[in-house]
Order: sequence, then C-alpha cells, then structure tokens
Amino acid sequence: MSESYRKFGRTVRYENGTIVRVEEAGEAVEEGKTFSCRPVARSNTLAPIDTAPLEQVVREIEDLVRPPLTIERIVVSEGVARHEFDGREWRETIRRVHLSMVFRSTRALIHLGDFDLDDVRAIAAALPRIGPQREAPARVLLAPNVAAALVPHLVGVAPPNVRLSQSAGGFDGKGQPVEARPIGEEPWPNWYRPSYRSRPVLAPFHLRVLCDVTAIDEDLPRAIALLAPPEPLLLRVLCAGRDHVFPATIRVMRIDAVAREARWYPFGAGSFGAEMML
Amino acid sequence: MTSDFAIVTRDETQHESRLIHGLAERRGAVIEARDDCDEELRALCELEWNRLRNALGRIREGRWRCVVSASRQDGAVSTTSTISVNLLDLSIVTTPPHLGSDYEMLIELASVPPTADAHVRELPLVWRNGSGAVLLHEAAGHAAEHGHAPAGWPSWLRVLDESEQGTADLTRGEPPMAMRRQSFTDVPMRRMTSVRVEAGLDRQIPARRIDVLLIAGGRYEPLTETVTVFVSAADLVDGDRSVRLRPFVIESPRAAVAGALRGSTGGVRRYPGVICSKEGQELFAASHAPDLVTEFR
Repeated sequence: MSESYRKFGRTVRYENGTIVRVEEAGEAVEEGKTFSCRPVARSNTLAPIDTAPLEQVVREIEDLVRPPLTIERIVVSEGVARHEFDGREWRETIRRVHLSMVFRSTRALIHLGDFDLDDVRAIAAALPRIGPQREAPARVLLAPNVAAALVPHLVGVAPPNVRLSQSAGGFDGKGQPVEARPIGEEPWPNWYRPSYRSRPVLAPFHLRVLCDVTAIDEDLPRAIALLAPPEPLLLRVLCAGRDHVFPATIRVMRIDAVAREARWYPFGAGSFGAEMML
Repeated sequence: MTSDFAIVTRDETQHESRLIHGLAERRGAVIEARDDCDEELRALCELEWNRLRNALGRIREGRWRCVVSASRQDGAVSTTSTISVNLLDLSIVTTPPHLGSDYEMLIELASVPPTADAHVRELPLVWRNGSGAVLLHEAAGHAAEHGHAPAGWPSWLRVLDESEQGTADLTRGEPPMAMRRQSFTDVPMRRMTSVRVEAGLDRQIPARRIDVLLIAGGRYEPLTETVTVFVSAADLVDGDRSVRLRPFVIESPRAAVAGALRGSTGGVRRYPGVICSKEGQELFAASHAPDLVTEFR
C-alpha cells in the first residue's frame, strides 16, 4: 500500500547572527520498505510570519547573556506549516529556542518550545556564581526544563510509583489526533515526522510523568540547567543551593514527587517538564 | 555582502530516495531560501547519480548511502559525491574513484573479528591508512575553526586544509578558507574541505605497537580543548604477529596530542574520508596523512 504525505512550510530562523527565511513544500511517499521524497509546488495559503516576536526574543537573550557569560550558540525559530495525508489536512505553528551559554569552561544547554525566557533568566543569573564540582545532593529538585529532558529516557524504566502518559494535543505525522493515553510498552500509537524528508516513526507524544505525590520541597538544591545532553538516567546539571551554585552528576534512582504544573519542551516528540523531586 | 547559492541533491540508500533542491540569496545578514529547482544543476546531479548508481553494483554486502550534489555558488558550478558503506560495526565514507578499493578494505577489516582489548596508554600507536589525518582534523582543524591558538605542534609537522579558496595552515591556527554549507537552508560556515598532513621526521616503526586502521568518528570540545577519537578497527602488533582489537576511544587534551606525536613513516596516504558534522550540517572532508606515530602516556 502506498501512502503519500505533503507538507507546505514557511520558517524564519535566527542562527548565530544570520536570519534565514525558508519557504518549501514537499511530498513523501512510503510503499512497503521504500521511502521517497521530493519538493512539490509551494502553496501560497500560508500566512506570512511576523518576525518581530522572534527578533525581540533574540534581543532579550542577548541582553540576558552578557559578559562574563557568552553565547556559544543561539538558534531561535518560528514556523507555520500545512500538512496533508490521506484526505486529511491540518496546520501547526511552532516556536523553538536552542541556546548554549558559556561561563569559563561550563556550558549550559537550553531548549525551549516557546518564547518564554524565564529559564534563560534563571540560568544566566546563576551560572556566573558556579563553584567547583560537588557530589550530587542526596535529595534534589529538578527544574521543569531539566525534568523534561529526562522524561523520554524514563520510557520502559520508570520507577513503579510514577506513570508515564501521552498528553492530548495536535496531530501526528499521519494526521491522527494525538490523544491522552498511558504509555506502556511499544508499539506507540502515533507517528512522529519532524520533516517531510524524515521517514515517520512510531513515538510517544507530549510525554508527561505523573506521580501521586505532588508536594515539592522548595528548599532542596535545584538542578536548573543541563550541562550536557542527558544520557539514560544520568544528568549532568547545574545545581543551585541556598548558598552555592555547582555542577553535579545526578544518577536518577528514584522519583519522590512530581508537581502538577508542567510546561512543554521540544525533546523527542515533545515532553512536559514539571518540578520533580528526586 | 551578497551571494547566491543553488543546489540539487540526491540522497539515496537501498530503500530510501530523497531529492532536495533550492536556492538561497544572501543579502547581508539575511538569507532568503526557497526550494526552487535549478534545472541545469538538476541535470548535472542526475548525470552524476546515474554514473554512481552503476558503480554501486559492486557493493555485495552491507548498507550504503550516497549523497550526490550539484551546486552553484555565485556562478561557479561544482559537483560532489560521497558514499557511506556500513558493514557489521564498521563504516567508511568515500568518493566514487575510490569506492572499489575502499570497499575491499572494509570487507577485509570486517573479516577479522576483534578478540583483544587495547591498552592505548601503554603502547605506541601507528596511525595507518592516512587515519592520522582524522586525529589532526579534530586536534588542529576544529581548534583553528574555533580560533584557538596553535597547540605547540612539532616543527616537523604541518596540517593543511586545501580548498578552491586556498590553503590554510591549521597548525598555525589559520581557519579553513572555504565557506561551506550542506544545503540551501543552511548558514555557510568556515569548514575543512581536504586535510593534508605533512610530516618531516622519519621514525622507525616500533615492533610492539597498535596499528590504527579505521576511525568511527571524532569530536573536539572547544571549551576544554579536548580531542576524542573513536577507533573502530586496530591491530595489536608484536613483530610479525597481530591480533584485532575491540573498538576503543582515545580522549586527550589537544596539547597532549601535540606532545604525543613522535614522527612519521612512509608517504602520504589517502584515508577514505570523514563526514564532519557541525550545527547539524554534515559535510565530507577528504583526509591524507603519512603513517604517524604517537605515544600517549
């Protein structure tokens, strides 16, 4: 059986000092084991992107990340797209911020799915106060941006007191609505297709960790930034305690509590980060 | 600054086929990119792909991926073709003229199972098959791209990056001359094109040593100036006996790489090549070096 998918997209991206405006459209066809894709005639039904919010975010980041901090890498983007698959049509808009800021030999990584810069503010304020490496605290609180990076790595290995669930929202790469459901064993119900040039794969969307205990001890040292991409159940993080800011490596052995309030981050097909007490 | 760029690419594997084309107009700090097709480039790309497709028939085992591009930068047209072949846990990246010989080398390397572990700090390493160019691609090349000062390289060593735009002496900290990009939506950056190592200190090959034969990948961490090289095939050699080693990793500060270089032997040899990834842009870089001898202590 042959399946055909079309995407019409327009993006604006600020990348390390250059603005790139892209207009493109393409078709992907899957037939058994084979996959092919190619550009097709663009559609003019997509709304133009107002670049003012993106430019404002870049200015704000550059204001926040000032010496002694430096911006090693900054990519801020906004996009609109129309998708077609099997007679269905859907649209989406996206915003992304990918930032690495550096203090001496320490790099903090930030990945956002919106233009809210609260995480950037907190990290930029703490990073210049960093001290030497310390042992991971016995109990620690993961900030939502750090917890969100961990969530995809919990699939299949989450401790028994927490549950993973897919949250409802938008459509998958074959136009099926993404519906709320518990996440257990594979196969996942939805197709992830970040580009028409990517072969779609089954993946859990908008992952969320749920725990019966939601009360968080706000006095615990707080892991506020990733200092390296997460490895399964191993996080290299920037911790902010009452008096000290320090790098530490946390091995996730248990999860004691997860707050209710959560924010979406662009890890995998999306994950919700909430304050998480380890 | 204004510049115009167009590209047509075919990215093919045994089961997947991707056609990519587009134009990019740069006006100062803004690039306008659209997926329009330059028909002349399309014809060139198809011609090259059809040539290459015939040559792929000789790949009997393993998975391959071919990327064929025809591009125009400010009126100058060029074509590039690279082929990656994966067999068991080994892979090479090569170009059409060398596909046959590099594929045979891969077959030969894959035919010997690894049976021993490496002790890379206890024995000298001899970087065979031009693989020393990959070590210095990371240690000298990426450092120069980042504007880092030279690392105290031995006076008998030169690491050059050659491109149509000119030659940069990476050992002197000169960044690559070429501005390269993978596709029309990418921002061009100074990137290495063809790394050539010249070494003027002849060194006798130690009888007991590790021969590095194939590299799986490399990394340069600019904040700590640390070089990491993932060796996928190497032999532990003792006189005329040798045993294949399991994959291992060499991680060392850039200054220690400079300090570990002991000399070279033989003429400059072509390494199959590397795919260099930066900002998500994957570009082929050619690699040439004589057999280099290092001692990491």
